[in-house]
Amino acid sequence: MLTSLMLTPGAAATQQAATLYGTVRDSATGHALEDARVGVQGTAYVPTDATGRYTLTGIAAGTVVVRAQRFGYRAATDTLTLAPGDSVAANFVLRPSALHMDPLVVTAAKRSQLLDQVVTSVALVQDSELARRAVNTVDEAVDKAPGVQFLNGQVNIRGSSGYVQGLGARVLLLVDGVPANEGDRGGINWDMLPVDQVERVEIVKGAGSTLYGSAALGGVVNLITREIPAGSHARVRATAGSYANPPDTIWRFRNYTGAQEGLDVTASYGGDALRAGLTAGARHSDGYREQDRSDHWQMVGKGEWLPSAATRLRLTGSWASNQYQAPLLWCERGTCVDRGQAYQPFRIDTSQAGAYTRSDKGLFAATVEHTMSPRESWLARGSWLRTDFTDYRRPVGDFGVANRYGVEVRGLVRPTASRVVTVGAEGALSDVTSDIFGNHWQDEFAAYGESEQRLGPARMTAGARVDYIAVDGGGLSAVVSPRAGLVLPGARGTLVWRLSVGRGFRAPSLAERFVQTSLGGLTVVPNPGLGPETAWSFEVGNAAQFGTVVRTDAALFWTEASDLIEPTVDPMSAQIQFKNLQRARLAGLDVAVYAFPLTPHLSTSLAYTLLYTRELAHDTVPARPLAFRPRHLLTLGADYTFGGFDLGADFRYSSSFERVELYPPTDPRVSPKVLDLRAGYQRDALSVRLLVANALNYLYNLAPQTLAPVRTVTMTLTWIY
Amino acid sequence: MPRRAPPFTALFALLCGAACNGGLQPLAPPTSCPRGLVGICGTITFQGTVPDSTQAVYVVAYHTFPHSRDSLFTFQPSLPLLQKLPLDGATAFYAIPVAAGRYEWVVAVWVKQGFTLANADSTLREAGYYRDGANPSLPGVVNVYAQGTDSIDFVIDFGQMHPPCSYYSPPCP
Repeated sequence: MLTSLMLTPGAAATQQAATLYGTVRDSATGHALEDARVGVQGTAYVPTDATGRYTLTGIAAGTVVVRAQRFGYRAATDTLTLAPGDSVAANFVLRPSALHMDPLVVTAAKRSQLLDQVVTSVALVQDSELARRAVNTVDEAVDKAPGVQFLNGQVNIRGSSGYVQGLGARVLLLVDGVPANEGDRGGINWDMLPVDQVERVEIVKGAGSTLYGSAALGGVVNLITREIPAGSHARVRATAGSYANPPDTIWRFRNYTGAQEGLDVTASYGGDALRAGLTAGARHSDGYREQDRSDHWQMVGKGEWLPSAATRLRLTGSWASNQYQAPLLWCERGTCVDRGQAYQPFRIDTSQAGAYTRSDKGLFAATVEHTMSPRESWLARGSWLRTDFTDYRRPVGDFGVANRYGVEVRGLVRPTASRVVTVGAEGALSDVTSDIFGNHWQDEFAAYGESEQRLGPARMTAGARVDYIAVDGGGLSAVVSPRAGLVLPGARGTLVWRLSVGRGFRAPSLAERFVQTSLGGLTVVPNPGLGPETAWSFEVGNAAQFGTVVRTDAALFWTEASDLIEPTVDPMSAQIQFKNLQRARLAGLDVAVYAFPLTPHLSTSLAYTLLYTRELAHDTVPARPLAFRPRHLLTLGADYTFGGFDLGADFRYSSSFERVELYPPTDPRVSPKVLDLRAGYQRDALSVRLLVANALNYLYNLAPQTLAPVRTVTMTLTWIY
Repeated sequence: MPRRAPPFTALFALLCGAACNGGLQPLAPPTSCPRGLVGICGTITFQGTVPDSTQAVYVVAYHTFPHSRDSLFTFQPSLPLLQKLPLDGATAFYAIPVAAGRYEWVVAVWVKQGFTLANADSTLREAGYYRDGANPSLPGVVNVYAQGTDSIDFVIDFGQMHPPCSYYSPPCP
């Protein structure tokens, strides 16, 4: 009854409006294109389903321009005249052209805009790339993006974070625009969403605090989840794989080959006014080293109500539960059955054998979007992120329960045809209950605004955000984060220059302020007076297209950071404490080249980042490189597609860190050189993909005494109904 | 156009070739200072029986001899970089990273299970130290330059260990 009442206004409205339906297909193969976007220009777009079908309802009668687009294809448009109540078919055939890049992004300015209109560098990982790479977790998908490197689960964008063992990421994670960094440690849970639910990833590089506030010091990663297609659909993704055994028998630690397997099942229904989808899944892994077994369960739900063409209410929820053995530092001589070796990279110190962690996390959000007119729209959102962990270790374990409640209201106004203004306000309450972090909470209030003005072909952007932060009900501290930018297209539209300067900041996490524990004989003491760390980021970028063969994107960047929060060791008192210590400089060059050198079937890519980092002199410490940052980061990729088959490879090289911290001198350091191979076959609704990650079984470590993943062979089967 | 294929193939083959070698390899414990280490290295000879209550044994170095309890933790390397000595043989090689400079005392510290800062006096023991060549009753001075200082060898005698208070005032009760 309630449902029918809710549907009534929408149903009445659609009686006066027209409906469009049809299919979108690939011009070369004739295959249906899933997740193509179709819409009337100026309104919301809908995705096509697995059979390439779409339905657009509630279209105002009159002459409309309908556009169909998909990443890797040239967009197509059609002009139609619709009468009230019409139901008209409009089919689209898109030509493949991976170089034809006019994707929409939503993260850089908190609104939809074309990629070449963004003032900062944005890297995109599209769903086609996610599928082709056949990765199993979201962090694996993000890892190969230009300028991005993961250190044991900690994301670095242009060297922003280094390695601080999960405390206080300098990158903000968003899930469909909802902040999702942990309320206590400020870290990121990359396993909160199954990778199959992610449609694309937008990675905004450089300080993004003007719109996003704390944590967006080094960049923002936004996971955009799949839209619910029209009609009834199902999706099954099954994976199975195995880990390579140690290449030398002296390193063997078990008498069987480790395996991993996983299953995700999605069901969805999309009607005119109501849409809903539910995904459930589980994964198991034996791990590739001693004490590395893990189990993972997850569930994701999404519901939408569209009472009118101008209004959308979206409810999303995801929950994940993990139980994993704690893969502790590898064994050095004398701390395990070392077989006479200086270290055993596959084994752990036996004093912590049996340690494991139980972790649960959930993210729930409700969003209302309303378009009042082509010139005005608003959005309101509430979210709740909960994390709960218990470490079972000797002699005693730790636990922590944290919440982050967030609200945001945002308005988008186009006062003139050449100006766009975004304004908004945000609030957040984070709390923690833990034996090592204590019982504390933090309030955050913020207001922001940014305006873009078009001046001829150029676009100028200016904005600012002010954040107020209070801890445990204490006095408010304020941080102002301005940004200005310019986008200047060159002649013939094949060249775009961008320039930006902005300020970023990160408030210390509750964990950094209040952690109180002991670590290897050291006492970790709290520092409630810890202040935020800040940075100014400058960037000059250029995107260029050379015919239909080569596209490039390059950026020079420069970041001056102040008051960086780092753990300090006082040998006199044998204490560790987080302090605002460092001034640092991170500068470099980020280059990406995409090319079709021989045939349209072959695509190649090159991404290179040159990074110069310096911790500036302070106290008695001389200037030196920042720890855990590589000078060179290179990723090469090649993919060959023919009919339903595709073959591909990625190669990643990272130079040795110039400086590391807390490494024992016996710990070897090598430059990672990792080759991934992949193959796939797709026929209609079924696809099979083979991934051989680290195919050469190159053994290396990025984090201290922590072996990076060995060769892993994974087969993924996806079926779509 | 097809002439472009060889450079791409060659580049890829070169990279694959580079990745086929290198990486982590089995490594026997060092018997001399690792290259690039700025610190102190040497061989420990064990005497006596390792106590059942042993948590770990570390080698540390003091710029100046610790004459008070306040200076007990002024050693190098810093605590997170301490390495446990392997106790399963008659000898053990050690290599500790310390800053270049002069060190008056290079000492092995025995740590009892249950050690905390509060009970350091009862859970730490001096288990042996590097001795002066001319007068073995005195600690030997070690100078570290821009590389490892090797052959700082000494004996750990688990039957002759002394609490920290043996070395400063007031003396042990």
